[in-house]
Amino acid sequence: MKHLEEAELVEHYYEESANMGESERHLKACPVCAKRFAELCRVLDAVDTPTAPARKEDYVEQIWQSIGTSLPRYEKPKSNWFRFYRPLGWAAACVLLVAVAFVAGRKWERKQGSSVAVAVDPQARQRVVIVVLGDHLDRSERLLVQLNHAEGNDLSALPLRSEARELLASNRLVRQSAMQAGNLSNVEASLDRLERLLMELSNEPDSLTEADLDRLRQEMNTDGLLFDIRVLRSRVHSPGPEQQSASTATKGVPI
Amino acid sequence: MRWMEESDDSIRRAILSGDKEAYKVLMARYTQIVFRVAYRITGNESDAEEAVQEVFLRGYQSLAAFQGRSSMSTWFYRIAANCALEVVGKRRPEAQSRIAEENDPERSEVQLADIKAGPDRLLLSREIEARQQAAMSELTPTERTAFVLRHMEDRSTEEIAAALNIAPNAAKQAVFRAVQKLRRQLAPLWVNT
Repeated sequence: MKHLEEAELVEHYYEESANMGESERHLKACPVCAKRFAELCRVLDAVDTPTAPARKEDYVEQIWQSIGTSLPRYEKPKSNWFRFYRPLGWAAACVLLVAVAFVAGRKWERKQGSSVAVAVDPQARQRVVIVVLGDHLDRSERLLVQLNHAEGNDLSALPLRSEARELLASNRLVRQSAMQAGNLSNVEASLDRLERLLMELSNEPDSLTEADLDRLRQEMNTDGLLFDIRVLRSRVHSPGPEQQSASTATKGVPI
Repeated sequence: MRWMEESDDSIRRAILSGDKEAYKVLMARYTQIVFRVAYRITGNESDAEEAVQEVFLRGYQSLAAFQGRSSMSTWFYRIAANCALEVVGKRRPEAQSRIAEENDPERSEVQLADIKAGPDRLLLSREIEARQQAAMSELTPTERTAFVLRHMEDRSTEEIAAALNIAPNAAKQAVFRAVQKLRRQLAPLWVNT
Protein backbone atom coordinates (compact mmCIF):
# COMPACT_ATOMS: atom_id res chain seq x y z
CA MET A 1 0.00 0.00 0.00
CA LYS A 2 1.34 3.39 -0.95
CA HIS A 3 1.33 5.82 1.98
CA LEU A 4 0.17 9.42 1.71
CA GLU A 5 2.83 12.07 1.26
CA GLU A 6 3.14 14.71 3.94
CA ALA A 7 1.94 17.35 1.50
CA GLU A 8 -1.13 15.21 0.88
CA LEU A 9 -1.76 15.00 4.61
CA VAL A 10 -1.54 18.79 4.87
CA GLU A 11 -3.94 19.14 1.93
CA HIS A 12 -6.27 16.69 3.62
CA TYR A 13 -6.11 18.63 6.87
CA TYR A 14 -7.13 21.84 5.09
CA GLU A 15 -9.68 19.90 3.04
CA GLU A 16 -8.06 20.92 -0.19
CA SER A 17 -7.16 17.47 -1.43
CA ALA A 18 -8.28 16.76 -4.96
CA ASN A 19 -9.36 13.26 -3.83
CA MET A 20 -10.75 13.81 -0.37
CA GLY A 21 -12.79 10.62 -0.45
CA GLU A 22 -9.83 8.51 -1.51
CA SER A 23 -7.45 9.94 1.09
CA GLU A 24 -10.16 9.55 3.74
CA ARG A 25 -10.55 5.86 2.88
CA HIS A 26 -6.79 5.44 2.93
CA LEU A 27 -6.51 7.02 6.36
CA LYS A 28 -9.14 4.63 7.67
CA ALA A 29 -7.40 1.65 6.17
CA CYS A 30 -3.75 2.58 6.87
CA PRO A 31 -2.79 2.90 10.55
CA VAL A 32 0.64 4.37 9.69
CA CYS A 33 -0.81 7.26 7.75
CA ALA A 34 -3.60 7.66 10.29
CA LYS A 35 -1.00 8.06 13.06
CA ARG A 36 0.97 10.58 11.03
CA PHE A 37 -2.20 12.48 10.27
CA ALA A 38 -3.19 12.49 13.93
CA GLU A 39 0.20 13.97 14.86
CA LEU A 40 -0.19 16.64 12.20
CA CYS A 41 -3.68 17.47 13.46
CA ARG A 42 -2.43 17.73 17.04
CA VAL A 43 0.27 20.21 16.04
CA LEU A 44 -1.87 22.34 13.75
CA ASP A 45 -4.82 22.33 16.14
CA ALA A 46 -2.51 23.63 18.83
CA VAL A 47 -1.38 26.55 16.72
CA ASP A 48 -2.93 29.56 18.31
CA THR A 49 -4.89 31.98 16.18
CA PRO A 50 -4.22 35.34 17.77
CA THR A 51 -7.15 37.62 18.30
CA ALA A 52 -6.44 41.13 17.15
CA PRO A 53 -6.71 43.64 19.98
CA ALA A 54 -9.69 45.91 19.76
CA ARG A 55 -9.16 49.34 18.31
CA LYS A 56 -10.30 52.59 19.85
CA GLU A 57 -13.42 54.18 18.44
CA ASP A 58 -11.48 56.98 16.88
CA TYR A 59 -9.01 54.63 15.21
CA VAL A 60 -10.29 55.44 11.71
CA GLU A 61 -10.02 59.14 12.50
CA GLN A 62 -6.45 58.60 13.69
CA ILE A 63 -5.52 56.88 10.42
CA TRP A 64 -7.24 59.65 8.50
CA GLN A 65 -5.24 62.25 10.40
CA SER A 66 -2.07 60.40 9.45
CA ILE A 67 -2.73 59.86 5.77
CA GLY A 68 -5.53 62.28 4.88
CA THR A 69 -3.28 65.21 4.11
CA SER A 70 -1.09 63.19 1.78
CA LEU A 71 -4.01 61.94 -0.27
CA PRO A 72 -4.54 64.01 -3.39
CA ARG A 73 -8.09 64.85 -4.26
CA TYR A 74 -9.24 63.11 -7.43
CA GLU A 75 -10.25 65.46 -10.18
CA LYS A 76 -13.83 65.24 -11.26
CA PRO A 77 -13.87 63.25 -14.49
CA LYS A 78 -15.06 65.05 -17.58
CA SER A 79 -18.60 64.27 -18.52
CA ASN A 80 -19.50 61.44 -20.86
CA TRP A 81 -20.94 64.04 -23.19
CA PHE A 82 -17.54 65.64 -23.55
CA ARG A 83 -15.84 62.23 -23.86
CA PHE A 84 -18.27 61.20 -26.58
CA TYR A 85 -18.18 64.42 -28.52
CA ARG A 86 -14.47 65.14 -28.19
CA PRO A 87 -13.55 63.26 -31.40
CA LEU A 88 -16.36 65.07 -33.19
CA GLY A 89 -15.03 68.32 -31.81
CA TRP A 90 -11.63 67.58 -33.24
CA ALA A 91 -13.17 66.69 -36.58
CA ALA A 92 -15.19 69.91 -36.58
CA ALA A 93 -12.07 71.89 -35.73
CA CYS A 94 -10.23 70.28 -38.64
CA VAL A 95 -13.10 71.05 -41.02
CA LEU A 96 -13.20 74.63 -39.76
CA LEU A 97 -9.46 74.96 -40.23
CA VAL A 98 -9.69 73.68 -43.79
CA ALA A 99 -12.61 76.04 -44.49
CA VAL A 100 -10.72 79.02 -43.08
CA ALA A 101 -7.65 78.07 -45.11
CA PHE A 102 -9.82 77.77 -48.21
CA VAL A 103 -11.50 81.15 -47.71
CA ALA A 104 -8.19 82.80 -46.89
CA GLY A 105 -6.69 81.23 -49.99
CA ARG A 106 -9.52 82.51 -52.13
CA LYS A 107 -9.20 86.00 -50.70
CA TRP A 108 -5.45 85.96 -51.20
CA GLU A 109 -5.95 84.72 -54.75
CA ARG A 110 -8.36 87.57 -55.44
CA LYS A 111 -5.90 90.04 -54.00
CA GLN A 112 -3.17 88.64 -56.19
CA GLY A 113 -5.61 88.53 -59.09
CA SER A 114 -6.11 92.29 -58.88
CA SER A 115 -2.55 92.84 -60.05
CA VAL A 116 -3.18 90.46 -62.94
CA ALA A 117 -6.35 92.34 -63.69
CA VAL A 118 -4.27 95.34 -64.42
CA ALA A 119 -2.85 93.40 -67.33
CA VAL A 120 -6.25 92.38 -68.64
CA ASP A 121 -7.67 95.82 -68.13
CA PRO A 122 -9.18 96.84 -71.57
CA GLN A 123 -7.11 99.97 -71.87
CA ALA A 124 -3.91 98.24 -70.93
CA ARG A 125 -4.73 95.42 -73.29
CA GLN A 126 -5.39 97.89 -76.09
CA ARG A 127 -2.02 99.46 -75.47
CA VAL A 128 -0.33 96.09 -75.79
CA VAL A 129 -2.24 95.33 -79.01
CA ILE A 130 -1.28 98.69 -80.43
CA VAL A 131 2.40 98.05 -79.74
CA VAL A 132 2.22 94.62 -81.37
CA LEU A 133 0.15 96.00 -84.24
CA GLY A 134 2.67 98.77 -84.76
CA ASP A 135 5.53 96.28 -85.04
CA HIS A 136 3.49 94.12 -87.39
CA LEU A 137 2.62 97.04 -89.62
CA ASP A 138 6.31 98.10 -89.70
CA ARG A 139 7.35 94.68 -90.91
CA SER A 140 4.47 94.53 -93.42
CA GLU A 141 5.38 97.95 -94.79
CA ARG A 142 8.97 96.85 -95.30
CA LEU A 143 7.79 93.72 -97.11
CA LEU A 144 5.47 95.72 -99.40
CA VAL A 145 8.22 98.23 -100.17
CA GLN A 146 10.51 95.34 -101.08
CA LEU A 147 7.78 93.78 -103.17
CA ASN A 148 7.00 96.98 -105.07
CA HIS A 149 10.63 97.70 -105.81
CA ALA A 150 11.85 94.21 -106.54
CA GLU A 151 13.28 93.85 -110.09
CA GLY A 152 15.80 91.76 -112.00
CA ASN A 153 16.06 88.01 -112.61
CA ASP A 154 17.46 86.84 -109.28
CA LEU A 155 14.32 87.40 -107.26
CA SER A 156 14.57 84.04 -105.50
CA ALA A 157 17.42 85.49 -103.38
CA LEU A 158 15.00 87.92 -101.76
CA PRO A 159 13.40 86.59 -98.56
CA LEU A 160 9.96 87.64 -99.71
CA ARG A 161 8.28 84.27 -99.36
CA SER A 162 9.73 83.37 -95.95
CA GLU A 163 8.94 86.83 -94.59
CA ALA A 164 5.44 86.55 -96.02
CA ARG A 165 4.92 83.21 -94.24
CA GLU A 166 6.02 84.62 -90.91
CA LEU A 167 3.88 87.71 -91.34
CA LEU A 168 0.91 85.58 -92.40
CA ALA A 169 0.93 83.77 -89.06
CA SER A 170 1.36 86.93 -87.02
CA ASN A 171 -1.17 88.82 -89.16
CA ARG A 172 -3.93 86.41 -88.13
CA LEU A 173 -3.08 86.79 -84.46
CA VAL A 174 -2.81 90.55 -84.67
CA ARG A 175 -6.12 90.77 -86.53
CA GLN A 176 -7.87 88.71 -83.89
CA SER A 177 -6.31 90.70 -81.06
CA ALA A 178 -7.22 93.97 -82.69
CA MET A 179 -10.84 92.85 -83.01
CA GLN A 180 -11.00 91.74 -79.37
CA ALA A 181 -9.33 94.91 -78.10
CA GLY A 182 -12.10 97.01 -79.61
CA ASN A 183 -11.87 100.53 -81.12
CA LEU A 184 -9.58 99.04 -83.76
CA SER A 185 -12.22 97.78 -86.16
CA ASN A 186 -10.99 100.15 -88.86
CA VAL A 187 -7.78 98.14 -89.17
CA GLU A 188 -9.61 94.88 -89.84
CA ALA A 189 -10.24 95.55 -93.55
CA SER A 190 -6.64 96.52 -94.20
CA LEU A 191 -5.35 93.49 -92.35
CA ASP A 192 -7.72 91.32 -94.39
CA ARG A 193 -6.26 92.59 -97.63
CA LEU A 194 -2.77 92.19 -96.26
CA GLU A 195 -3.56 88.58 -95.32
CA ARG A 196 -4.67 87.74 -98.84
CA LEU A 197 -1.49 89.22 -100.28
CA LEU A 198 0.67 87.38 -97.77
CA MET A 199 -1.10 84.13 -98.59
CA GLU A 200 -0.54 84.59 -102.30
CA LEU A 201 3.07 85.49 -101.80
CA SER A 202 3.65 82.54 -99.49
CA ASN A 203 2.22 80.17 -102.07
CA GLU A 204 4.25 81.51 -104.98
CA PRO A 205 6.70 78.97 -106.50
CA ASP A 206 10.41 78.98 -105.57
CA SER A 207 11.48 80.37 -108.90
CA LEU A 208 9.75 83.72 -108.50
CA THR A 209 10.09 85.89 -111.63
CA GLU A 210 9.57 89.58 -112.18
CA ALA A 211 6.47 88.72 -114.27
CA ASP A 212 5.02 86.87 -111.30
CA LEU A 213 5.60 89.88 -109.12
CA ASP A 214 4.04 92.26 -111.62
CA ARG A 215 0.98 90.08 -111.78
CA LEU A 216 0.79 90.03 -107.99
CA ARG A 217 1.25 93.81 -107.75
CA GLN A 218 -1.59 94.39 -110.14
CA GLU A 219 -3.93 91.77 -108.75
CA MET A 220 -3.44 92.72 -105.15
CA ASN A 221 -2.92 96.46 -105.72
CA THR A 222 0.12 96.48 -103.49
CA ASP A 223 0.60 100.25 -103.91
CA GLY A 224 -2.85 100.88 -102.49
CA LEU A 225 -2.25 98.36 -99.74
CA LEU A 226 1.07 99.99 -98.89
CA PHE A 227 -0.73 103.31 -98.61
CA ASP A 228 -3.33 101.83 -96.30
CA ILE A 229 -0.65 100.23 -94.15
CA ARG A 230 1.21 103.51 -93.87
CA VAL A 231 -1.97 105.34 -92.88
CA LEU A 232 -2.69 102.70 -90.30
CA ARG A 233 0.86 102.73 -89.01
CA SER A 234 0.74 106.47 -88.59
CA ARG A 235 -2.52 106.23 -86.68
CA VAL A 236 -1.22 103.49 -84.49
CA HIS A 237 1.97 105.35 -83.67
CA SER A 238 0.06 108.57 -83.02
CA PRO A 239 -1.03 108.84 -79.30
CA GLY A 240 -4.32 110.31 -78.13
CA PRO A 241 -4.99 114.05 -78.33
CA GLU A 242 -3.78 114.57 -74.76
CA GLN A 243 -0.41 113.10 -75.65
CA GLN A 244 -0.18 114.58 -79.10
CA SER A 245 2.54 117.03 -78.25
CA ALA A 246 4.75 114.37 -76.70
CA SER A 247 4.34 111.92 -79.55
CA THR A 248 5.54 114.31 -82.19
CA ALA A 249 8.88 114.43 -80.51
CA THR A 250 9.16 110.65 -80.45
CA LYS A 251 7.44 108.10 -82.61
CA GLY A 252 5.15 109.75 -85.07
CA VAL A 253 5.83 108.60 -88.61
CA PRO A 254 4.85 110.95 -91.42
CA ILE A 255 2.80 109.40 -94.21
CA MET B 1 -22.15 60.38 7.75
CA ARG B 2 -24.13 60.77 4.54
CA TRP B 3 -22.36 57.89 2.74
CA MET B 4 -23.05 55.27 5.39
CA GLU B 5 -25.96 53.69 3.52
CA GLU B 6 -24.30 53.81 0.13
CA SER B 7 -22.68 50.87 -1.64
CA ASP B 8 -18.94 50.53 -1.94
CA ASP B 9 -19.14 51.34 -5.63
CA SER B 10 -21.13 54.53 -5.06
CA ILE B 11 -18.58 55.67 -2.53
CA ARG B 12 -15.75 54.78 -4.89
CA ARG B 13 -17.32 56.89 -7.62
CA ALA B 14 -17.83 59.75 -5.20
CA ILE B 15 -14.17 59.63 -4.22
CA LEU B 16 -13.08 59.55 -7.84
CA SER B 17 -15.31 62.56 -8.46
CA GLY B 18 -13.38 64.55 -5.90
CA ASP B 19 -15.11 63.74 -2.60
CA LYS B 20 -11.98 62.77 -0.72
CA GLU B 21 -13.71 62.56 2.66
CA ALA B 22 -15.97 59.74 1.41
CA TYR B 23 -12.92 57.49 1.67
CA LYS B 24 -13.31 57.58 5.44
CA VAL B 25 -16.48 55.53 5.04
CA LEU B 26 -14.59 52.81 3.19
CA MET B 27 -11.88 52.95 5.84
CA ALA B 28 -14.47 52.54 8.60
CA ARG B 29 -15.96 49.56 6.80
CA TYR B 30 -12.73 47.67 6.31
CA THR B 31 -10.45 48.77 9.15
CA GLN B 32 -11.32 45.76 11.30
CA ILE B 33 -10.59 43.21 8.57
CA VAL B 34 -7.44 44.98 7.48
CA PHE B 35 -6.14 45.35 11.01
CA ARG B 36 -6.91 41.73 11.90
CA VAL B 37 -5.05 40.36 8.85
CA ALA B 38 -2.16 42.73 9.38
CA TYR B 39 -1.95 41.84 13.04
CA ARG B 40 -1.95 38.10 12.41
CA ILE B 41 0.69 38.36 9.73
CA THR B 42 2.98 40.84 11.44
CA GLY B 43 2.42 39.40 14.91
CA ASN B 44 2.43 42.71 16.73
CA GLU B 45 0.27 45.76 17.12
CA SER B 46 2.59 48.55 16.02
CA ASP B 47 3.61 46.77 12.84
CA ALA B 48 -0.02 46.03 12.14
CA GLU B 49 -0.90 49.70 12.57
CA GLU B 50 1.87 50.70 10.20
CA ALA B 51 0.60 48.16 7.69
CA VAL B 52 -2.97 49.44 8.06
CA GLN B 53 -1.89 52.99 7.24
CA GLU B 54 -0.03 51.76 4.21
CA VAL B 55 -3.04 49.69 3.12
CA PHE B 56 -5.37 52.68 3.13
CA LEU B 57 -2.81 54.90 1.48
CA ARG B 58 -2.31 52.43 -1.36
CA GLY B 59 -5.99 51.70 -1.52
CA TYR B 60 -6.76 55.35 -2.14
CA GLN B 61 -4.02 55.73 -4.71
CA SER B 62 -5.11 52.70 -6.71
CA LEU B 63 -8.85 53.23 -6.31
CA ALA B 64 -9.17 54.37 -9.90
CA ALA B 65 -7.65 51.07 -11.04
CA PHE B 66 -10.17 49.01 -9.06
CA GLN B 67 -12.40 47.41 -11.66
CA GLY B 68 -14.82 45.58 -9.40
CA ARG B 69 -13.86 42.10 -10.56
CA SER B 70 -13.68 41.09 -6.90
CA SER B 71 -15.45 42.65 -3.95
CA MET B 72 -13.87 45.65 -2.30
CA SER B 73 -13.45 43.56 0.82
CA THR B 74 -11.30 41.04 -1.08
CA TRP B 75 -9.43 43.87 -2.70
CA PHE B 76 -8.54 45.49 0.62
CA TYR B 77 -7.74 42.06 2.01
CA ARG B 78 -5.17 41.48 -0.71
CA ILE B 79 -3.58 44.87 -0.19
CA ALA B 80 -3.48 44.17 3.55
CA ALA B 81 -1.74 40.83 3.03
CA ASN B 82 0.82 42.48 0.76
CA CYS B 83 1.50 45.41 3.04
CA ALA B 84 1.80 43.17 6.10
CA LEU B 85 4.14 40.91 4.15
CA GLU B 86 6.33 43.90 3.33
CA VAL B 87 6.34 45.07 6.95
CA VAL B 88 7.35 41.58 8.09
CA GLY B 89 10.08 41.53 5.45
CA LYS B 90 11.38 44.88 6.64
CA ARG B 91 11.28 44.13 10.37
CA ARG B 92 12.22 40.49 10.29
CA PRO B 93 15.54 40.57 12.22
CA GLU B 94 14.01 42.87 14.82
CA ALA B 95 10.89 40.77 15.01
CA GLN B 96 12.90 37.63 15.60
CA SER B 97 14.56 39.03 18.67
CA ARG B 98 11.35 40.57 19.96
CA ILE B 99 9.32 37.43 19.51
CA ALA B 100 11.95 35.53 21.47
CA GLU B 101 11.42 37.74 24.51
CA GLU B 102 8.85 36.06 26.63
CA ASN B 103 8.56 39.00 29.03
CA ASP B 104 7.79 41.53 26.33
CA PRO B 105 4.79 43.45 27.73
CA GLU B 106 3.42 43.84 24.22
CA ARG B 107 3.44 40.12 23.76
CA SER B 108 1.80 39.35 27.13
CA GLU B 109 -1.61 39.94 25.69
CA VAL B 110 -0.98 37.35 23.04
CA GLN B 111 0.52 34.90 25.43
CA LEU B 112 -2.53 34.69 27.68
CA ALA B 113 -3.53 31.11 28.17
CA ASP B 114 -6.58 29.41 29.53
CA ILE B 115 -6.45 30.50 33.17
CA LYS B 116 -9.07 27.95 34.15
CA ALA B 117 -6.76 25.13 33.18
CA GLY B 118 -4.52 23.37 35.64
CA PRO B 119 -0.84 24.25 36.15
CA ASP B 120 0.38 21.47 33.80
CA ARG B 121 -1.95 22.54 31.05
CA LEU B 122 -1.04 26.17 31.59
CA LEU B 123 2.63 25.31 31.35
CA LEU B 124 2.09 23.34 28.13
CA SER B 125 0.05 26.14 26.69
CA ARG B 126 2.80 28.66 27.40
CA GLU B 127 5.38 26.34 25.95
CA ILE B 128 3.32 25.87 22.80
CA GLU B 129 2.91 29.63 22.55
CA ALA B 130 6.62 30.24 22.86
CA ARG B 131 7.52 27.52 20.37
CA GLN B 132 4.86 28.72 17.95
CA GLN B 133 6.36 32.17 18.08
CA ALA B 134 9.80 30.77 17.55
CA ALA B 135 8.59 28.67 14.64
CA MET B 136 6.72 31.60 13.11
CA SER B 137 9.83 33.72 13.36
CA GLU B 138 11.70 31.10 11.34
CA LEU B 139 9.27 31.39 8.47
CA THR B 140 10.03 33.56 5.52
CA PRO B 141 7.59 36.48 5.08
CA THR B 142 5.87 34.62 2.24
CA GLU B 143 5.58 31.38 4.23
CA ARG B 144 4.30 33.27 7.24
CA THR B 145 1.71 35.19 5.24
CA ALA B 146 0.62 32.09 3.33
CA PHE B 147 0.27 30.12 6.58
CA VAL B 148 -1.67 32.88 8.33
CA LEU B 149 -4.04 33.21 5.40
CA ARG B 150 -4.48 29.45 5.15
CA HIS B 151 -4.59 28.44 8.80
CA MET B 152 -5.94 31.49 10.58
CA GLU B 153 -7.95 33.27 7.90
CA ASP B 154 -9.18 30.07 6.27
CA ARG B 155 -8.41 31.28 2.76
CA SER B 156 -8.15 28.89 -0.18
CA THR B 157 -4.91 28.30 -2.07
CA GLU B 158 -6.20 30.38 -4.98
CA GLU B 159 -7.02 33.31 -2.72
CA ILE B 160 -3.60 33.12 -1.10
CA ALA B 161 -1.94 33.00 -4.49
CA ALA B 162 -3.95 36.02 -5.64
CA ALA B 163 -3.16 37.97 -2.48
CA LEU B 164 0.56 37.28 -2.73
CA ASN B 165 0.75 37.53 -6.52
CA ILE B 166 2.24 34.08 -6.83
CA ALA B 167 1.20 30.87 -8.59
CA PRO B 168 -1.27 28.61 -6.74
CA ASN B 169 1.32 25.83 -6.60
CA ALA B 170 3.84 28.22 -5.05
CA ALA B 171 1.23 29.25 -2.49
CA LYS B 172 0.57 25.58 -1.66
CA GLN B 173 4.30 24.94 -1.27
CA ALA B 174 4.68 27.98 0.99
CA VAL B 175 1.92 26.67 3.28
CA PHE B 176 3.48 23.20 3.28
CA ARG B 177 6.95 24.50 4.21
CA ALA B 178 5.43 26.59 7.01
CA VAL B 179 3.61 23.54 8.37
CA GLN B 180 6.82 21.51 8.28
CA LYS B 181 8.71 24.17 10.25
CA LEU B 182 5.92 24.39 12.82
CA ARG B 183 5.87 20.62 13.20
CA ARG B 184 9.60 20.54 13.84
CA GLN B 185 9.16 23.07 16.65
CA LEU B 186 5.95 21.82 18.17
CA ALA B 187 5.93 18.03 17.69
CA PRO B 188 8.55 17.33 20.44
CA LEU B 189 6.11 18.72 23.01
CA TRP B 190 3.91 15.68 22.64
CA VAL B 191 6.61 13.04 22.53
CA ASN B 192 6.23 12.19 26.23
CA THR B 193 2.52 12.81 26.51
